[in-house]
Amino acid sequence: MSEKKKSFSFFNKGKIDIAFLSFVLILLSIGLVMLFSASYAYSYTYFGNSYRFILRQAIFAVIGVALMLIISKIDYHILKKFAWLIYAVTVGMLVLVLILPASTELDVKRWLAIGSFSFQPSEIAKFAIVVIFSAWLSTNAEKLKKIKYLAWMVLLLGIVCILVVSEPHLSATVLIFSLGIVLLIVAGLQARWIVAGAGLGVGGLLFLIFSGAISYGSDRIAYWLDPWADPSGKGYQTIQSLLAIGSGGILGRGIGQSRQKYLWVPEPHNDFIFSIVCEELGLIGAMVIILLFCALIWRGFTIAARAQDRFGTFLAIGLTFQVGLQAILNILVVTNTIPNTGISLPFFSYGGTALVILLCEMGVVLSVSRSSSVEKV
Amino acid sequence: MTLKASKLMLKRILIIMLAIVILFVSVTSIRLVKIMVIDGEKMQSLASEQQLYDTLVSAPRGNIYDSKMNILAKSDTAYTIYLMPNGIKGLAEEKRNRVKTTIASGFAEILGMDYETAYAYTEKQTYYVIIKKRVDKSVADSVRKFLSENSDLGLAKYVGIDETTKRYYPNESLASVVLGFVGDDNQGLSGLESYYDTTLTGVAGRVVAAKNAHGSDMPFSYQVVEEAKQGNSLVLTIDSFIQHAAEKHLEQAVIANKATGRGACIVMDVNTGAVLGMAVKGDFNPNEPFTLSQADQALLDVEGTTVTKNQLLNKQWRNKAVADTYEPGSVFKIITASMALEENVTTLDHNYNCGYSIYVAGQVYHCHKRGGHGALNFKQAMVGSCNPVFITVGQLLGPSNFSKYFEAFGFTKRTGIDLPGEALPVYHKEANMGPTELASSSFGQTFTVTPIQLITAASAAVNGGYLLKPYIVGKIVDENGNVVKSTQKTVKRQVVSETTSAKIREMVKAVVTDGGANNAYVAGYDIGGKTGTSEKVAQMQTTGDRAYIASFLGFAPIEDAEIAVLVMIDEPRGASHFGGTVAAPVAAEIFKEILPYLGYEPQYTEEELKNYAVKIPELKGKTVQQAKSALTSAGLNINVVGSGETVLKQLPAFGETLNKGGTVIVYTEEGENGKKMAVVPNFIGMTQSEANSAAHAAGLNIKYSGNTTSGNISKAYDQSIPKGNEVAAGTTVTVYFRDESSTD
Repeated sequence: MSEKKKSFSFFNKGKIDIAFLSFVLILLSIGLVMLFSASYAYSYTYFGNSYRFILRQAIFAVIGVALMLIISKIDYHILKKFAWLIYAVTVGMLVLVLILPASTELDVKRWLAIGSFSFQPSEIAKFAIVVIFSAWLSTNAEKLKKIKYLAWMVLLLGIVCILVVSEPHLSATVLIFSLGIVLLIVAGLQARWIVAGAGLGVGGLLFLIFSGAISYGSDRIAYWLDPWADPSGKGYQTIQSLLAIGSGGILGRGIGQSRQKYLWVPEPHNDFIFSIVCEELGLIGAMVIILLFCALIWRGFTIAARAQDRFGTFLAIGLTFQVGLQAILNILVVTNTIPNTGISLPFFSYGGTALVILLCEMGVVLSVSRSSSVEKV
Repeated sequence: MTLKASKLMLKRILIIMLAIVILFVSVTSIRLVKIMVIDGEKMQSLASEQQLYDTLVSAPRGNIYDSKMNILAKSDTAYTIYLMPNGIKGLAEEKRNRVKTTIASGFAEILGMDYETAYAYTEKQTYYVIIKKRVDKSVADSVRKFLSENSDLGLAKYVGIDETTKRYYPNESLASVVLGFVGDDNQGLSGLESYYDTTLTGVAGRVVAAKNAHGSDMPFSYQVVEEAKQGNSLVLTIDSFIQHAAEKHLEQAVIANKATGRGACIVMDVNTGAVLGMAVKGDFNPNEPFTLSQADQALLDVEGTTVTKNQLLNKQWRNKAVADTYEPGSVFKIITASMALEENVTTLDHNYNCGYSIYVAGQVYHCHKRGGHGALNFKQAMVGSCNPVFITVGQLLGPSNFSKYFEAFGFTKRTGIDLPGEALPVYHKEANMGPTELASSSFGQTFTVTPIQLITAASAAVNGGYLLKPYIVGKIVDENGNVVKSTQKTVKRQVVSETTSAKIREMVKAVVTDGGANNAYVAGYDIGGKTGTSEKVAQMQTTGDRAYIASFLGFAPIEDAEIAVLVMIDEPRGASHFGGTVAAPVAAEIFKEILPYLGYEPQYTEEELKNYAVKIPELKGKTVQQAKSALTSAGLNINVVGSGETVLKQLPAFGETLNKGGTVIVYTEEGENGKKMAVVPNFIGMTQSEANSAAHAAGLNIKYSGNTTSGNISKAYDQSIPKGNEVAAGTTVTVYFRDESSTD
């Protein structure tokens, strides 16, 4: 088995992990249907036709799936070669987004535009962190016991996190930070560091909350605890989301039958799409989707465990974990379990470039699966 | 490069995977079950509340008619102005602000609200808010005009006008306490409007449609339509003519006698229990139920006053005829007499001696007549309203019999009339009824009943003994006039025999003809009745304010006893506080007006005919000589003005009536030159003959009303044209007489 791996070939000839691919495609299909349903009324009201969102998303989905399949064919080791470049470009973009004037919302600098496309560098940053950590940890996992190397990793992670939190984009920061930490843990981070880090994290979080250091965050916490304190203002989105979810009941109103999507839930196609999913598909439908995400995580982690090398392992872990964590955080936000932070639901929320990036990442996982499948035989 | 995941890594991968999956499934499922199942219903109803636009298609409220199908209450078209603020919310800021300020200033101007209030409506987080209800067409038209003037802003998308109904009472205060009134949503708030609210309301239709957050219809088909069903209408037993007569005379009496406790009057069909009229003064205008009378408003405006507007409003809305109890006083002697005659403890001609005082269990009671009546029989005791005799009879009856009949006459329970708020009586139960309680109860004191109870019970005493259930709604009809329900006469029980009843009729007739209630006399009719003057003892004891209730209960024609009229004036503070002077003349005036209307032809005695009015013949075009002979043969005098040959004009006019001996002025020349004027003198306090002379001296004609049978005891207490007025000579002034000495 070793002779084959010695030589680097651009194309991977192993078999793709059908289960993982199926879960991706099933989630994507449900996501597209639900996006159409959720965006229908919004699109009609603001753009005069009901198909604007679904058409754009569908086009990006097609592009994304094509790219995913192509990428799954490409030997993922190419990423290791360009890991530092990817990291450097990402940091560059993160700096750029802070320098350029804000394009959309006030005080928030998250988007970069290239031509007619715009994307969030923080999306790239997630990928970059996974790649750079995977690349470094795949050869240096054992060095983590030395504080010097650990500090080095923390620095790499820290630079990105500080840049992203400065946008500010708290949820992306949390995600990126979590990705880095999880990869470090998998790589063998010593238990004492895990405990210390957890303590530091909790302490820091409490400090931030009680010192009021992040004002927009602490305000969110107040309306997280009691959205009904300002039902028409800061609590509005949360309340409308809860009303949508609660309206679903066990069986849901049926696909296309949401009422809350009629402009009650603000931008129902974005971060809060899951509330419309709940209203239309009910508790059962929502749990099916959650279980599909779990299946994707399980399969992604399985691919990681079976990967032919550690780089593949870390890549698959990181990218799968990213999707899983994002889904969890999104659903927790939508159900008002945690404070509202702008975080989208993978495969469901509207956003073309984000979807393409996501599918490309899934392509990378599939590429890892291809290489490992050879060994399974 | 080819290094594979270590064991530690695999272990940690497994742990992380399990952790993330378990966390994912457990936390989300707990939350989702909480929101979707446990709180599901609440969330769903909150969501429906905002999404479902529930338009009520109001069912027209049924009308209220009098017994002759004259409209007493009806529903007119009115309009509701509403706003859809969520639609504005979606606009661009600059336009949004312009829309808001335009709407706010428009509402401020057209609907008379202040700008800030109107502006606050535009900021509401709702798709539908009612700005003003029940505005009339002119306001709705102004709003329409305002919307079209601002069509560039598309205001019609945010402001709407719904057609609804508004209650209208064309006769204003007529029967207001009986009819009651409705609130903003046309819901009955008092009177029949409240008692029969369900009947009148009908079933409002609903259109439930789904709306988006901007207030427009959702494109999916969610719409439920429930048809509206018009409310049924009430046809009352009340007759507007009778009601009006009762109200007019009651109001006059309340004002003239300076009554501070309002007055009530019930006109009832003795043989069916149907209420033909029910008047309370002071009342209100049901079109504006929250407006106080000027007098009450003045009370409220007094510096440091302790009365509140609510108290005064509740007072003017209160149906004194059913909702308040009072001590009936001597009117109750009708009931005591019925008991005594039925139980044979006395007879009409049984002789008694009234020595002014009577002792019962050590308690002394006096007759209202100083020195007592001396020897008199039972019938005379009724005529003279002799308390000692009635106390004696009461003691003979004993507490057991008294209580038995008291209950049988319906004084221990509500009558069950179809009006809200009927009060419960307060009385001595048999077990607590000692000799003194029995004594005072015998002449109608120390217990309280409602006017409706008293008239119902007394009707039983004269109608052959049958206690009826009084009612005010004769039938209920649907929108097409089909009778849905009609009220049948309900006999509760026979309380006394026909024989007893006949004796009571004989007694109360004597009261009017021979004394006590001579002021209830109506020329041409046989009236029977009994006066009552009750002192408000409890009020005297608590506040030191000595006040009375003057009342009279009469029946006509007394032989058949068909119509009963009860008049009670609460706290008269004028020259007299006696039922005979204050209340009896009111009943007489009402009888005088309604008896001919009800088809009872007057039968005049010789004595009455002497005084009675003759019809004035047509004189116009006749020669002076012809006119003279025509008038003379009719028993009238002539007064010719001018030197013409033929009569051009006469006063009083053809067809009017004059008392025999009256003077008709005939004009024989055109123009104002010959027109004779006369100044109306002050008749008040004059006897009938004095008034007659005064009228003739002034060149006026006079008509007598009220008690004209008591000779010089009768004095004028009111006149139809106030003194000092200058009127054409020959004009007829009606002067009202009563026996000022008439007491209880």
